[in-house]
Amino acid sequence: MNKKENFVKGFIKENPLFVSLLGMCPSLAVTTSLENAIGMTMGVFFVLVLSNLIISLIMSNPKLAELVKPVRIPVYIVVIATLVTIVEMFMHAFVIDLYRALGVFIPLIVVNCIILGRAEAFASSNKPVNSLIDGAGMALGYGAAIMLISIFREFLGKGTLTIWGDLQLNLTFFFNFLKIEPIAMFVQPVGAFLTFGLILAGITAIANNHKNKLAKEVTNNG
Amino acid sequence: MNKGFISGIVLLTIGLVCGILLSLVNHFTAPIITREENKIKYAALAEFYTLADYDLSEVEGTGAFGTIYVLKEKGTDNIEALVYTVSAQGYSDSQLVQMLIAVNNDLSVEGYKVVAQQETTGFGADIVENDFNVTIIDNLNDFDAVAGVTKTSNAIRECFTLVSQRAVSDLGGGLSE
Repeated sequence: MNKKENFVKGFIKENPLFVSLLGMCPSLAVTTSLENAIGMTMGVFFVLVLSNLIISLIMSNPKLAELVKPVRIPVYIVVIATLVTIVEMFMHAFVIDLYRALGVFIPLIVVNCIILGRAEAFASSNKPVNSLIDGAGMALGYGAAIMLISIFREFLGKGTLTIWGDLQLNLTFFFNFLKIEPIAMFVQPVGAFLTFGLILAGITAIANNHKNKLAKEVTNNG
Repeated sequence: MNKGFISGIVLLTIGLVCGILLSLVNHFTAPIITREENKIKYAALAEFYTLADYDLSEVEGTGAFGTIYVLKEKGTDNIEALVYTVSAQGYSDSQLVQMLIAVNNDLSVEGYKVVAQQETTGFGADIVENDFNVTIIDNLNDFDAVAGVTKTSNAIRECFTLVSQRAVSDLGGGLSE
């Protein structure tokens, strides 16, 4: 797998959220606004890229890897927890509104299956540069997925798209045109499941269609 | 030497390095966090009163009470109002629900605000801006809890109860500075 494929795989082919169905709990909880999703993406990006890099650096040294191997899961958790705590401290200090909005889901990044999953499945057995690229691709793929969910939820639930702070697009004209109110259900937990299910169904339908087309081409050619 | 023991030492070393790194980051961010939290607290005080009209002093509370802000008539010892920082256990184990409750010297409640919480997004976190219908601090009979968000509602009620238990005494001169 070349570097480009390694980076891109996190977006569609191995998307952590829509393909592997990992890290769903915080994803559904924080996607009430685009701003929250952007903040969560930044946190996950920092943690995933650095944890992949550090773990790969540790495990690419044969002598150190042999010593760490029996205690590798605690080592991964210590590294990940440290990075998450650093993210939490910086968010609390510099973006306090976002820190309050994301609440308990910032420390919960520690137990996000995506981070530990990539550490064990990829970073522990690949070179540091490849692990860094894998972490960046996976984090951005995860971010794209939660931002997609949050765009649907915030638009349908509030009629707005909050990009950052006061930078907000007011799209209520759409609802005014239809003479209806924004559907508040979409920013509540039930709306998260509904949106996630509909997007997942859409992606699965497109993927199946693509597979069928390929199968037909193979049949016709063969 | 036992291989497991050496692995343990490696884990301990990594833990120590991480601990030192965290203490450095904490050393850098802690004053900024305190400043930001205070900014929010004072912004909340300014929502209740025009601070320039009073002599403002602070008393450190004990137990569930944090800082108590004492607003005195300018140039006198007459307490016009007290603003309590008070905390109670809500749904989150990692962060208490912390409120500011402003009480005038006639026991009327000037206002209240949740200044720190980590309640569940979409549930408890959304109700902290609610009007809980508390206008007199020694009468909590009309407190409006929110159905379905019991733990957060209880925490907010507990904050009011704690203040009601001491406000009369504090405003009567029982507050020691």
